[in-house]
Amino acid sequence: MTYFSFLMTEFCVLWRRKHDVFNAVLFFIIVVSLFPLGIDPAPEFLAPASGGILWCAAVLSILMVIEGIFKEDYRDGSLEQWLVSGLYLPLLVLLKLIVQWAGVVMPLLMVMPLLSQMLYLPSGSFWVLIMTVVLGTPSLFLIGAIGAALTVSLRQGAMLVMLLILPFYLPVIIFAVSAIRASQEGAPYFGFLAMLLAMSLLSLVISPFMTAVAVKASVN
Amino acid sequence: MCAGLSVQLVAGEAIRILGVNGAGKSSLLKVIAGVMSPLKGEIHYLGQDVTHDRRPLQQDLLYLGHSLGIKNLLTVSEHIRHYCPSVLPETLQTVLTQLGLIDYADTQVKALSAGQKQRVALSRLWVENKALWLLDEPFATLDVNAVALLELRIKQHVSADGLVLFTTHQEVLSLNAREVSWLV
Amino acid sequence: MAFAPEDYQQGNSFRIIYIHVPAAMLAQSCYLGLGIAGFVFLVWQMKIAPIFIKSLAPLGAAMSLIALLSGSIWGKTTWGTWWVWDARLTSVLVLFLLYMGIIALQNALDDVTLANKAAAVMGVVGLINLPIIKYSVIWWNTLHQGPTFTVTEKPSMPVEMWLPLLVSVIGFYGVVAGLLLWRMQSEILWREKRSAWVRQEVLGDGL
Repeated sequence: MTYFSFLMTEFCVLWRRKHDVFNAVLFFIIVVSLFPLGIDPAPEFLAPASGGILWCAAVLSILMVIEGIFKEDYRDGSLEQWLVSGLYLPLLVLLKLIVQWAGVVMPLLMVMPLLSQMLYLPSGSFWVLIMTVVLGTPSLFLIGAIGAALTVSLRQGAMLVMLLILPFYLPVIIFAVSAIRASQEGAPYFGFLAMLLAMSLLSLVISPFMTAVAVKASVN
Repeated sequence: MCAGLSVQLVAGEAIRILGVNGAGKSSLLKVIAGVMSPLKGEIHYLGQDVTHDRRPLQQDLLYLGHSLGIKNLLTVSEHIRHYCPSVLPETLQTVLTQLGLIDYADTQVKALSAGQKQRVALSRLWVENKALWLLDEPFATLDVNAVALLELRIKQHVSADGLVLFTTHQEVLSLNAREVSWLV
Repeated sequence: MAFAPEDYQQGNSFRIIYIHVPAAMLAQSCYLGLGIAGFVFLVWQMKIAPIFIKSLAPLGAAMSLIALLSGSIWGKTTWGTWWVWDARLTSVLVLFLLYMGIIALQNALDDVTLANKAAAVMGVVGLINLPIIKYSVIWWNTLHQGPTFTVTEKPSMPVEMWLPLLVSVIGFYGVVAGLLLWRMQSEILWREKRSAWVRQEVLGDGL
């Protein structure tokens, strides 16, 4: 096994499991449509809230994906093979996360224009929304991977992952939504984007190592 | 577990680990491979202490555990390329023919039977060039032909100065393995 | 708490500060302890660290719960509502959720080594993230609400007020430390229940 063959395999497996990603996107759309139905379909409510709604829905659907990110690898013994491959485990984890991130966030971005229209997000704020998603979601994946790796040996780990991980998602949600809101109000939003980037970089430094520790502890 | 066991492994040998269920046979293999960390004790490889950094050892190591490390969604040939990207197409053909998997080369692993999956996992022994093999129950679920093939492969490997550690509950008569056993 | 004079604005209700403030402080200190113990365990593999974490996490959770409850009771009397999305309240709520996450994780994992590692990892990650969470919550709060309630920045306290507060803070630390040691003791006994010295100890006490 080399890093390259590992990467290729991850792409291949993700491609063959595309229905999972599809489900996550559907879930995203459903959650978003709950808000107008459940609270208020008036543009006066939806336009200011749209950033928050889109972000909360995105976080939930990402959580749904991230929870099972190592499940299959654990069951079929691939995690053991990662450990004995002589390759650097944090790097393997990072590669896998990059593939998963690309595979999940790209489809989400593709439905964003449609949904932001449906929620009356002002068109000037749309690119800010895209920027927050691009800059903020890496840290969601990186942090979520720690929880997923810790609970991989449990049969019913989904609830636990949510409980563990959601508090850590709060700052990301806060800064992302603040950026969108600031742009709607015409305030400077660049600082919020910088914060999102900083958080992604910080989790990039910490998470692969912590996830590697967790993977190693889970495989026994 | 495994208290007081000291094993010296020399190249050109096949070693069968004996022990009752729960004695720690699989754990021993896992500890050597680096899946688990030993509670106590040291592991040396080629005169180097690899207890904390198993990488020098892992470069020459092929480990097959109870879960075989096969991705259900890969095809058989993709699986082999995943573990050995440098394999030549001809080699792949020969090995798959030998193992009776040639018709399944482009079938996803999830469609195969347990014995066929075991063969897929074992195919790595033919294509990868590693000196040290750690095989946990490699004979399980194999039919007579496959058992004979695997025995032959192990013999070849041993005569080429390779080292094989394996566990099995089956009687493997034709293999001249040194037996190591302990009780807990 | 009974000896302090009444607050000129809030009357007797402010006395709950002697529970609220120490509990909130303890809730944060306990998490600091968790994170440090997690770090110690991951780096030096000290066996006592996971026992420390396991014993401390429920105490920390209890402290943050006390802080939340007393805070909301206090809030009811002074602000008129049980809950406001105040930065401090919210961050204590998040802290409580973090504690519950660690406890749930430890309960769910049967394998002791894995549970140890898991709690340590969560502790360390939480320790790194806690300042960010707190900072972001405060930011979020000022962004959305502005300083509606200045009750937390009340005029500097007279001696009769802060001295009992100091005493009660020290008292809370003492209680938690005592409970912690007691819990650790029983946890160690439980984990080493197979070894001879435990049997001797327990049987000796029994007779």
